[in-house]
Amino acid sequence: MIRFDNVTKSYPTQTRPALKTVSVSVEKGEFVFLVGPSGSGKSTFLRLVLKEERPSAGQIHVAGKDLGRLTTWKVPHLRRRIGVVFQDFRLLPNKNVYENVAFALEVIGKPRRFIRRVVPEVLELVGLEGKERRMPDELSGGEQQRVVMARAFVNRPMILLADEPTGNIDPATSIGIMKVLDRINRTGTTVVMATHDAAIVDSMRKRVVELEDGKIVRDQSRGVYGQAY
Amino acid sequence: MRAQFVLSEIWIGLRRNLTMTIAVILTTAVSLALFGTGLLIRSQVNAMKDYWFDKVEVTVFLCTSSSSSARCKDNGPATDDQKGQIQRDLQAMPQVRRVYYESQEAAYQRFKSQFRNSTALVQVTRPGDIPDSFRVKLSRPQEYRVVASAVAGRPGVDSVLDEQASLERFFTMLNGLRNAAIGVALLQIVAAILLIGNTIRLAAYNRRRETGIMRLVGASNFYIQLPFLLEGAVAGLIGGGIASTLLVAVKLLFVDRLRSSFLTVAWIGWESVIQVIALQLIAGVLISALASFVTLRRYLRV
Repeated sequence: MIRFDNVTKSYPTQTRPALKTVSVSVEKGEFVFLVGPSGSGKSTFLRLVLKEERPSAGQIHVAGKDLGRLTTWKVPHLRRRIGVVFQDFRLLPNKNVYENVAFALEVIGKPRRFIRRVVPEVLELVGLEGKERRMPDELSGGEQQRVVMARAFVNRPMILLADEPTGNIDPATSIGIMKVLDRINRTGTTVVMATHDAAIVDSMRKRVVELEDGKIVRDQSRGVYGQAY
Repeated sequence: MRAQFVLSEIWIGLRRNLTMTIAVILTTAVSLALFGTGLLIRSQVNAMKDYWFDKVEVTVFLCTSSSSSARCKDNGPATDDQKGQIQRDLQAMPQVRRVYYESQEAAYQRFKSQFRNSTALVQVTRPGDIPDSFRVKLSRPQEYRVVASAVAGRPGVDSVLDEQASLERFFTMLNGLRNAAIGVALLQIVAAILLIGNTIRLAAYNRRRETGIMRLVGASNFYIQLPFLLEGAVAGLIGGGIASTLLVAVKLLFVDRLRSSFLTVAWIGWESVIQVIALQLIAGVLISALASFVTLRRYLRV
């Protein structure tokens, strides 16, 4: 589903590359934790999958597509197959829960009838039924993150990328968030989650890929966060 | 494509930047109105040209015994031979359609009827005072100079009056006016383009959350940019509409009033006004859409 072959990414303003000859493969339906300290290259990894950045060297395949050969005007179609969840939510403050989720479908031109059917379904999946009319500032952090997950998943992407989704949320609420991610994963969606949260990684016992200074230092199925942190 | 979604986005965008939107609309309106006025002057000049060039003649006045000019005094009155030669030469020219000879008697009669209201003038003028002349109708009015210079200065010819020359001066003035209007309009259009660019940049900044999410969920570039493009185009269209209203006002208050006082002159009709209005609206939409498009390429990375 995601394959990196000797991918290096350096930014023009930095001397050290953000990723150094990274090779990794994520299969369909996998749940992968991407761990490592800040600046280890986790975010760069996710941005490369979305083709928000181009690698300096190496090849990336996502959902069967060679990103190096993907023309700019086809990038939106790639992104429709990938859902993204952020630490800082990025909800539209002037739209309510329903509208925020529906927005993701409206802007890719889905018919209204389809939107009316699938948005309540996905809101139920993330545990927000009955809160459709709430505005984002009326929700707790955990609830806002559920809206973000609903928005990321509403178009049934093949891949869900989560960049520290529990970063702004207390541990008790985080468990609920992880349950939703697990539920999404069980529908067959590949989930890649970048995180600092050792407790969560340890409790889930999923595959763990650890990055340090842009290199993969550990790739372990059913792993834990590691002793060093 | 969900029309309602796009329309509501445009409306939100225009309302959020209300002052900038008004500035854009007014600048576009002024520039397009000036541009339209320039075009109207142009069609007015063309209408007048068509009208007058058709009627205007080159008049070749001949020397008579009472002519006072030095040339006629030296050479004496035109002989029949000279007259015949001049007439033949004129008729041979390709630019000439027809040559009329107006005798002194006929000229006097015409003079009397033209000035019948000023009896004093008629009373002091005797039949011999008005020279006989050739009135030359041109088939190619633009080439009046060739005709005039062919006969000017010949023995027997007193003077050549081409009405075209005095018309040209009038048209030169009108053309100057037209150039001034279009020149100012172009400056204004530059201002309008920059203003539209800035407005769109502001709108893109205001909506960076929305566009960021649109990008991530895979909205096409077209879909992301369309509301901005249409926002510019709608502002341009409203500006064009105001400019069109101004132009209609010019036609009603200016042209139509002049028309009632100068009936003998050809004036532009509604069809040229409508043509110019159509041009204005198209220009308004194109200018703003183009300005938005160029700005978006720079500020809305997809």
